[in-house]
Amino acid sequence: MDLYLLSQYLLSGLVIGIIYSLMALGITFIYSIMKMINWSMGEFYMIGSYVQYFLVASVVGWSRWYLALPLAIASVFLLGLVVQRWLLRPMYVGGVERRDEYATVMTIALMVLFRNLAVVLGGPNQYSPRDYAKPTMLLTLPLSGNRFVALVGALLLLALFYLLVTRTWVGRALRGAAQNRVGIQTAGIDVLRLDMLAFGVGVALAAAAGALLAPDFLVYPENGAISTFKGFEIIVIGGLGSILGSVVGGLLLGVIEALGSVFISPAYKDLYGFVLLIALLVLRPTGLFGERERTV
Amino acid sequence: MSRRLTIVGLALLALALAAAPALAQKPVKIGVLTPLSPPGDPAAGQLILRGAKMGADEVNAKGILGGRKVELVVEDDAGTPEKGAAGFRKLATQDGVVAVIGQFHSSVALAVQDLAEQFKVPIFATQASARAFSEKHLNYSFRTHVIDTDRVQLWNRWIKEKGFKKVALLAENTDYGVGLVEDTKKLFPTMVPGAELKTIVFDRAVVDLTPQLLEIKSWKPDVVINIGVGTPAYLIIKQAADVGLLPGTPMLVSYDMPARAEYWKNLGEKGNFVSFLVYYHPTMKLTPRGEAFRAKYREQFKEDPVYASLNGYAQVVLIADALEAAKSDNSDALVKALLANKFQGWNATISFSRGDGPYWQQWTPPMLLMQYTKVDMPFTEAKIVFPAEFKTGDLVVPK
Repeated sequence: MDLYLLSQYLLSGLVIGIIYSLMALGITFIYSIMKMINWSMGEFYMIGSYVQYFLVASVVGWSRWYLALPLAIASVFLLGLVVQRWLLRPMYVGGVERRDEYATVMTIALMVLFRNLAVVLGGPNQYSPRDYAKPTMLLTLPLSGNRFVALVGALLLLALFYLLVTRTWVGRALRGAAQNRVGIQTAGIDVLRLDMLAFGVGVALAAAAGALLAPDFLVYPENGAISTFKGFEIIVIGGLGSILGSVVGGLLLGVIEALGSVFISPAYKDLYGFVLLIALLVLRPTGLFGERERTV
Repeated sequence: MSRRLTIVGLALLALALAAAPALAQKPVKIGVLTPLSPPGDPAAGQLILRGAKMGADEVNAKGILGGRKVELVVEDDAGTPEKGAAGFRKLATQDGVVAVIGQFHSSVALAVQDLAEQFKVPIFATQASARAFSEKHLNYSFRTHVIDTDRVQLWNRWIKEKGFKKVALLAENTDYGVGLVEDTKKLFPTMVPGAELKTIVFDRAVVDLTPQLLEIKSWKPDVVINIGVGTPAYLIIKQAADVGLLPGTPMLVSYDMPARAEYWKNLGEKGNFVSFLVYYHPTMKLTPRGEAFRAKYREQFKEDPVYASLNGYAQVVLIADALEAAKSDNSDALVKALLANKFQGWNATISFSRGDGPYWQQWTPPMLLMQYTKVDMPFTEAKIVFPAEFKTGDLVVPK
């Protein structure tokens, strides 16, 4: 095997892995705080890509994609706040009996609603913003400017997220909520408000991935399906609720898919991640960085 | 008593007379089962539907079977067999359509044609080219589109003419993609002796094809054949340009997707120098019916029609003509009429026979290979690069 080519495959797997991590981080973050799975995560990715396309095509212009990016992320963050406040908060107040089922039904309904809204508003065709930057080289790997921007953007967002969670008061409160929702309320923190913030940040991360990848992976009503699918795989591999697990899981999945698709067959690219996932569930059911639930 | 009976009898007679014209005016329903949302190719479905609606309008100007109107009942198959099957069941059982057109994805067409047989509702493949569709020799399956084998023969002849020695095929794992790979593998050794063939089949849901394109690039092919449909076809072109495979290596797209208006919007300069297979070119001479459609389409949409619309239109008028010939909306009578008569299509006379192999109830349009040589080049200006008798330019490969 040509080492140069092998290094290209590895790099391409790592690049896509970091982008996958961004998709998974939102899911795991929302789960950590709200203890619910957001099945409509991919649709927030899709909305992020549509908003980005709309902004560059109609408002800021093709060359000012970097202005559109924060706007797209912010608008999905606000949408997340609204969705959480009006559609998800009721399950935390008023003693909803089957909270998990409520969250599942509600987020699946949102998934269907958003997909259909995208078809109604944008039509079923594919769209693509113009390239964000010129092609470049990442060591041995020829990389599109878009993919490079997505990589840098993903790394920046992951770093920002890390700083938010570890270095700020809000981050400490969020970590507290992740550890013990009741305990943190005794410290006088409004956990419902934290839920709203966590949901907004989580879906904004998915929207960031959608907006960053829009010129590379196109904009269409079902483009978020892949992000939900990969996101869930990663959080199970990395460990539900673990931020580090999301990053390592994303990288592992990216590399395994890249190598598997070249050395075995690309027709089963999605299978390799599942083989890893099943192996991990057998050997380490909590995932790579997940922790066993503590009960008292 | 007898007076009362007479009154009741007269009332019933009046009711029957009143109802008769209403029954005569009952519309003839034609199903359009086509991809209108991803993961199918929704642009193709929309273009087919556009043509079908124009066909229905033309038929309705005169009416058929004694003044009845044609009504299109549209269902989205989303390019997936399960949605296609559900849509076909609804069209056949609830809507009572006389025939179904619009099939674009081979995987869907192959799944629903068995239902067509079960419900005795003729199905017309509008742009589904899997050989197996007509090779099964089913009574209610018709096609007015090319067969994979014909498509493969065309590109093999082109490859031989150009003297390409290394050919890479990147195909999606659908019936269409796998069928084309199998046919190419089968015909390649005899049609292009001495040339090497590399085939890679990928999962249609995958959006990152970088590793496969890097592998192809390192193999240094003379030409790459892009066998993706809809989104995958775009992703192959984009990512091939990103890894530096395009534009230095010629790429042939296996169908007429680049002829669509959104091609340049989605690809920009990455779409330049791509070659593609078409079944229609604006310089083609059409039948009077085809010419009238083309003029009307240009007037209505301010652009040239593409093949999907032409074929969608032609299938609706073909069904209307066959119903007139059958003098009935009965499906068996329709099948008999389709086999016994000749019909005016968009570019030639359409007739169906029950030939050998895949040439069963099959009518094939012409095929050409074209190339864009300028960014934003209109389809009408793209050069015909093959076959030699229609050629308007040579294949351009930038250094």
